[in-house]
Amino acid sequence: MAEVKEVTRKLEEIRELIKAEIPWEPVGPTPMPEIPDLRAWDMRLLKTYKPWYAPFCDLCCLCTYGKCDLTQGRRGACGIDIATQQARIILLACLMGCSAHASHAGHILEFLIERHGPDKKVDLGTYIELEAPNIRTVTGLKPETLGDLKTVIEYVYKEITHLLDSTHFGQEGSYLDYESKALHASMLDHVGMEVADIAQIVGFNYPTSVADTPMIDMGWNSVDKSKPVILLVGHNPATSCTLIDYLRENDLYDKVEVAGICCTALETTRYSDKAKIIGPLSRQLFYIRTGIADVIMTDEQCIRTDMPIEADKVDSRVIACLDKAMYGLEDATEMETPEIVKQMVEDKKHFAILDPQKASEVAAQVALKIPPKRRKEWITDEEAKELAKKCTQCDMCERVCPNLLGLGKAMKDISEGNLAEPQKLFNKCIGCGKCDQECPQHIPILRVMQVVASKETWKIRAGRGAIMDTEIRNVGAPITLGTIPGVVAFVGCSNYPDIEDVADMVDEFARRKYIVVLTGCAAMVAGMKKDKDGKTVYEKYPADFDAGGVVNVGSCVSNAHITGAAIKIANIFAALPLRANYEVMADYVLNRVGACGVAWGAMSQKAASIGTGCNRLGIPVLLGPHSSKYRRLYLSRKEEDDWRVMDARKREIVDTGEPSPEHLAYVAETKEKAMVMIPKLCIRKNDTPQGRSIKLNHYISLYKKYMGGGLPEDLHLFVRRDADIPLVYKKEVRAYLQQIGWQPKEPVGLPTLIGTYPSKVPLDAVIH
Amino acid sequence: MSSVIPLHRVNVLTGIKSARLIEDASQYANLIQKAKRPLFVLGPLLSEWSLDGKLLIEYALEIAKIANIPICATAHVKGKMVELGVKPDSIYDAVEIVNALKDAEWKGVKKEGNHDLVIFFGIRSDLEEQCLSVLKHFAPHLKTMTLCKYYFPHANYSLPNFRKDEQWKAFLENLIDSLKKGE
Repeated sequence: MAEVKEVTRKLEEIRELIKAEIPWEPVGPTPMPEIPDLRAWDMRLLKTYKPWYAPFCDLCCLCTYGKCDLTQGRRGACGIDIATQQARIILLACLMGCSAHASHAGHILEFLIERHGPDKKVDLGTYIELEAPNIRTVTGLKPETLGDLKTVIEYVYKEITHLLDSTHFGQEGSYLDYESKALHASMLDHVGMEVADIAQIVGFNYPTSVADTPMIDMGWNSVDKSKPVILLVGHNPATSCTLIDYLRENDLYDKVEVAGICCTALETTRYSDKAKIIGPLSRQLFYIRTGIADVIMTDEQCIRTDMPIEADKVDSRVIACLDKAMYGLEDATEMETPEIVKQMVEDKKHFAILDPQKASEVAAQVALKIPPKRRKEWITDEEAKELAKKCTQCDMCERVCPNLLGLGKAMKDISEGNLAEPQKLFNKCIGCGKCDQECPQHIPILRVMQVVASKETWKIRAGRGAIMDTEIRNVGAPITLGTIPGVVAFVGCSNYPDIEDVADMVDEFARRKYIVVLTGCAAMVAGMKKDKDGKTVYEKYPADFDAGGVVNVGSCVSNAHITGAAIKIANIFAALPLRANYEVMADYVLNRVGACGVAWGAMSQKAASIGTGCNRLGIPVLLGPHSSKYRRLYLSRKEEDDWRVMDARKREIVDTGEPSPEHLAYVAETKEKAMVMIPKLCIRKNDTPQGRSIKLNHYISLYKKYMGGGLPEDLHLFVRRDADIPLVYKKEVRAYLQQIGWQPKEPVGLPTLIGTYPSKVPLDAVIH
Repeated sequence: MSSVIPLHRVNVLTGIKSARLIEDASQYANLIQKAKRPLFVLGPLLSEWSLDGKLLIEYALEIAKIANIPICATAHVKGKMVELGVKPDSIYDAVEIVNALKDAEWKGVKKEGNHDLVIFFGIRSDLEEQCLSVLKHFAPHLKTMTLCKYYFPHANYSLPNFRKDEQWKAFLENLIDSLKKGE
């Protein structure tokens, strides 16, 4: 009885928080879900898409009971086994990612509420009424003000605490439950990201309800280095937007170059199209070591931890603008601006300044004063040649390269003046700088690479935020029927394995009339390659969320708009209620929305949580080969696993035998393999014969193009009836199907997992 | 635990159970010949790497033919194999074949039962090491072996870090000779 009262009280509290009395939709079964609330859904996913663990380490080293050997079935002193330990590490990674975005959201909200007040309306423009699909689906709250967003982020903080608690010594003992928690944390990540980006759009007046955003200059050569240069690195736009305001207000914007690396660059260019994008995270150290930045302003997330040390090497100045990374610097937030400027210019000091206004004033003034005293030139070919000649081919650089590059050969080539091959190699450099510190000859390898780094300037479209409701109305039917063959989202870091891969993949799928959406560093590198006409994919393809469109959604936190678009299809197109109705939304996306995430260069914990959040919502994610180091994938075995679904129209369980989508988190070894997997991961059981035929046409033709001919060996699993066979391959496919004894099967009218596992959601909830 | 450090530092083992390093090709041949159901997992680097102008895929196919080892082709290596007149027995990507192999009840690529020795060759070293880790921890029913020129700690049997390609070439040629002798 006491327990029932407690549950009722908690539910009442939640209903109050989400303003349940406002009847914009009925409140679904899981408002502000806690750890157990979506566990049954997770377990159903994990039944088909089983965790695949690749431990780095034989041991658990997390407490002083150990180190504990977990090999050959051994358990640690607390009782944990190797699989559960991997799942625990994955949960920690997802929590790091989730908390990075949630903390970003919390900070930016605080900043914007201070500026605009908590009652500032959430308004994303004429064409976006469904402003917060993730927030509404997960929490049940329709955020109308910045204050409402604060309620949401406080819920996320609370859940993070519970989840982190579970990783403490001696608690969770099931890898499946740890995975369920990782899925929970990662779903919350998309909520946190959505809070952050909605707040930014509203608070900074970023573009919204528009597709055709401005084209931005990108590349280190886009920066006029004869001017003072302020470089912004990180993710949080509080500082960068304040800096732009300061420069505008003081008539300095034409006198100073503002450029960014990583997501801050994307954020800043949503605020001002005059700002420049240097490039992705993988170019951070390289660019800093050119010394072209006079002042470096750091905020949070993917920023190097040795920024002041690196800045000292090239006589740049650092201002740490957020408490996440203060580098041991003196906190000058309360100090007078002239004194800070004096010490930075004359004594070459770096400071932490946590007030964006003051940090901006200082940055501008220091940038105007120090450039004449600094050398800002690229290394010459002759200098590089002389340095490269010191290489003894000891291979020490190659041994530490995380991307396994043949640097010794590149040094030899450069020393002989042959730059073509090193240019290709530098495209694959992930910019960690480990080679430099390993070189016994002390060759500054990254600096030498300046001679082979492209001096090209590229065009990238500024991030546009949420997909418009009007666009969803146009594409909802063709996506769910399959006649738009899929939505491919290139997200996350761009570091591995080759910087040009993403541009190639975007081009291939946009040309084939998939909808291509991009965020973060992946959005940048997609623009870092020109076709024979000198155009980047942003210049070559339209910016609409429609067949053949290439859409830069924005920074990392804009990833929420990609999952949001999938939810919008279920809500706007299929008219399924989304309020606190996560399971129904995820089931719809898994079975009917042909979307696939591609995190080709992913390396960060944020990428882990972004991807895992997509997985809980039913969106498969394809990763690059190095991502096996995340240590966990979600793989099915197509011939053995459970592909039964409920046909909601007939109310009967059907064994489809069709592995769609085949995996939820998958590593492709090569770009070529990825090209073939992406169309397959966009296949859904809901496809009409026409849609399936279009999807199989791409699957077969890409297979022939990249796998050396023939037909895909699993093709028969995806052909339901003769009408599914693409016209152009009809004869060949029919012959193959006949040869293997294929039998036709009926497509499922309304496929759903609801009804195939214990759930509070009734079957009627998925019928629209 | 071996004191051998793998060539690529990303593959350094943190733990206690590492591969037995074997430099003698005849020992490798014995292990292969003793296996009842070996499997060759061939990766895309085999169509890029060569020794004195001979592609590594050619070495691999020769070994497979002599020892009658079925082949699983990963990524896009199938194209080159077909070009050389060989149809792989199965096509899976690296993580997929590993996923199947860790199930002791899996019937294997020949439908004759799961494999007892899996030989990896030509997969990017960080991915290969992670795949070997999966099998080391979750497939006690089989042994793993590598033919790439670096040391892989998570394997059961590994080559050393060959400093020179000539050493690697000599090993592969000796292995082929040893297998021929044992035919």
